[in-house]
Amino acid sequence: MSGSREAHARHPFHPRGMAPHVIECKEAFMSSTTSAAVDPNRTRNRIFVGLGAAVIVATYLYLILAQPTELAEGGLGTSALIALAGYLIGAALIAVGAIHRLPTATLSLIPIAIVINIAVGQLAATLGLPVYLDSIGTVLVGVLAGPAAGAVTGALTNVIWGLTIGPIALPFAVTAVVIGVLAGYAARLGMFRRFYLAPVAGFVTGIVAALVSAPIAAFIFGGATSGGTGALVAAFQAFGNSLLASTTLQGLLSDPLDKTITFTVVVLILFALPGRLRSRFPFVRQYNVFGKVTPVAPAEPAAPKA
Amino acid sequence: MTTTTLYLERTSALHRLNPVTKLVALLSIILAVFAVPHWWIPLGIVAVVIVPAAVLGRVGGRLLRLFLILLLPLLVVLFLIQGLFYPDGSTVLWEWGLAQLTTEGLLFAITIGSRLTALVLGSLVFVLTTDPARLMSALTQVGMSPKIAYVISASLQIIPAFQARAQSILLAQQARGLAIVGSPLKRARALLPLLGPLILGMITDVDERSTAMEARAFGATPKPTSLIIVPDPVGERVARWLMFLSAIAVVVLVVVGVIA
Amino acid sequence: MANANAPMIELSGVGFAYEDAERFTLANLDLRIDAGTVTGIVGASGAGKTTLAKTIAGFIPLNEGGTYRGAASVAGRVLAEGTLSEAAAAVGLVTQNPFNQISGARFTVREELAFGLENRSVPRDEMERRVDEVAARLRLEPLLDRSPYALSGGQMQLVAIASMVIMQPPVLVMDEPTSQLDPAGTRLVYDVLSTLSDGGTTVVIIEHKTELLHEHCDSIAVLAGGLIVQHGTPGAVLADDRLTSWGVGETRVTTAARLARERGLLPVERALPIGVDDAVEAFSTQTGAAS
Repeated sequence: MSGSREAHARHPFHPRGMAPHVIECKEAFMSSTTSAAVDPNRTRNRIFVGLGAAVIVATYLYLILAQPTELAEGGLGTSALIALAGYLIGAALIAVGAIHRLPTATLSLIPIAIVINIAVGQLAATLGLPVYLDSIGTVLVGVLAGPAAGAVTGALTNVIWGLTIGPIALPFAVTAVVIGVLAGYAARLGMFRRFYLAPVAGFVTGIVAALVSAPIAAFIFGGATSGGTGALVAAFQAFGNSLLASTTLQGLLSDPLDKTITFTVVVLILFALPGRLRSRFPFVRQYNVFGKVTPVAPAEPAAPKA
Repeated sequence: MTTTTLYLERTSALHRLNPVTKLVALLSIILAVFAVPHWWIPLGIVAVVIVPAAVLGRVGGRLLRLFLILLLPLLVVLFLIQGLFYPDGSTVLWEWGLAQLTTEGLLFAITIGSRLTALVLGSLVFVLTTDPARLMSALTQVGMSPKIAYVISASLQIIPAFQARAQSILLAQQARGLAIVGSPLKRARALLPLLGPLILGMITDVDERSTAMEARAFGATPKPTSLIIVPDPVGERVARWLMFLSAIAVVVLVVVGVIA
Repeated sequence: MANANAPMIELSGVGFAYEDAERFTLANLDLRIDAGTVTGIVGASGAGKTTLAKTIAGFIPLNEGGTYRGAASVAGRVLAEGTLSEAAAAVGLVTQNPFNQISGARFTVREELAFGLENRSVPRDEMERRVDEVAARLRLEPLLDRSPYALSGGQMQLVAIASMVIMQPPVLVMDEPTSQLDPAGTRLVYDVLSTLSDGGTTVVIIEHKTELLHEHCDSIAVLAGGLIVQHGTPGAVLADDRLTSWGVGETRVTTAARLARERGLLPVERALPIGVDDAVEAFSTQTGAAS
């Protein structure tokens, strides 16, 4: 077969069908199967994501900077409204902007990841574990398919929680988005190349998650997100901390631990998988998520029998 | 329909409404409730709008049960924390050690509590009376991405299968003598053999699942047609705008200080 | 457009190795399939049958990472040069596991069947007509308002097949479409496939039940070691001495006849029967000769 045409096969994530290591596309995880190059909504989607991120950051900063004076006046002011609306709008903008960029191959990963979040989260609660373990699927998708996919998984997990178990989790959708995004960027930065680096990324993600969710816990739930966490908030308040400071401290006690465990579980399971399965994901190959792999050329087939 | 979601299949006027109308009503209520700084407004809305809606939708009993399971514990915790340990309380009614029952704390707790009640009960009435299938169709009709509808619909439908799988793996482990009691670490160990197969399945199935979606031309056209059309009468569309604009008006009035 | 004599499906020198795989799953494979025929693909497990199905449908190389070479065309068009959506319009692929074939995007069987049509912007009244038609053919009417995930494996498989048949692709490739079906369901599926092929659809079935293939196929191709090692009429292929060495089971009739021949009940020089009809003929001439 001297005249046979040899080419690296196209992949759904790579619209122009180039080999992932030669493709020069910074956002392989967000390209679309059929028409990424001519997607008329590309700019709109970028604006959505950028705007969403800006709204979330602005919401957090406003609540941190404006809150102390308002609390001193003895009321909540507009903090609760801003926390709820700002975070929900921000999370929705990011999720909508991000999902449009995801190819079908990535999309079909997300429902399973959401179900893992919920099944394991419920099981952890049933077993009475002191951690939530409700973001394993989100972290998995972030690591395997990138920050945009992680964000969508996080946001929609909370929608599903709302429809199936109860709407209490919905205000925390923004935290789930942040976790998915950070897991994706951690993977891009190489934090999953060594099994001992992933817990560090988890710890940092947990700190950010705690900071972001503290205003929700404070201004929407008054610190009462559950019995155990409520007791901690009460204790911090009793020692003279403000409400926001108390929910922040409470978050810092539980979230980094939870995310450290989650990231550790994810890295251990992914390391136990055959490399062939992990490297199916173009995001994994593009950013060398699990470290350099020397490409193996497949053995030539035996000469065909006459 | 599967029993995964909280939705209750009933025949009622509330069930017949276009889901988008109910969603806009819910969001308008939440917006107003969180804008107005008076605790009796949310409770008034619960009494005058949300509870009657639940009765109208014939889901009152379930709403009460969910209130007792989901919300009441939170409210108790809320009043314990903020009633007794409110950081800025000055009018002390009763004192015991570090705990101080203050007027400000109680007021704060009732403000948060009444809003939370309106938020949770309102959302519950929406979820209890809205068929998720109809919700997804209606939202897609008003412009939501079919991709979002796909992820939500697929997740809701796979949950029962996965719960069954999780349950059987757990039972098998118990049969093999693996402890699911004891220290947290021991109990956590029961999770790992469960997670491995779930995640392996997720990764090995993804090619076939995406191939199946592509074979069905998912995303092939930006304007897919729809087999099921959810009725959307003009009256409901007008009502949606009115509710939304009223809620915005309330927010504006609060921000400029007319309502204080 | 391809001329009337050109094959509907033509693979020449096709090779494919999955990402990071140690060897090629398909190796310089040649295969030609005529329009409007039913072709069975057989081979040992791991021979690459599913890979071949995905290659015919264009999902390899369009949807799968790896090393690909050679040329595959359907109706004269090289699918690899187009988009996945064009390939999906040309070739309908029913994958192996019905649980993964159900899209999940819709909550009832009725809508699941219509899902592919919705994505092709088919008007509503035509969708309704086609749903009713395919549901009647595969006896799915009682299931139309149920959730596709609440069905048994066999029912789910019928829904998966129906949801692809309804899209009326010119070529239909099915990967073990009857693995979870009872004999009645299996018969239903093969009847539908016969009707489709009479109407001009080209059907390719991966199937290990050789009896079924003998009964329903125009030709059978044997896949072994990444190559098509034999392709011909069911009679010729299933009577090939090398069949078991390729990991393909002969029909039970053939097995019975072989045992009969070993006991001297059939002459050694006579070709072994494959189907029930051949067997009746073989044994009746044999007993006729003896008496």
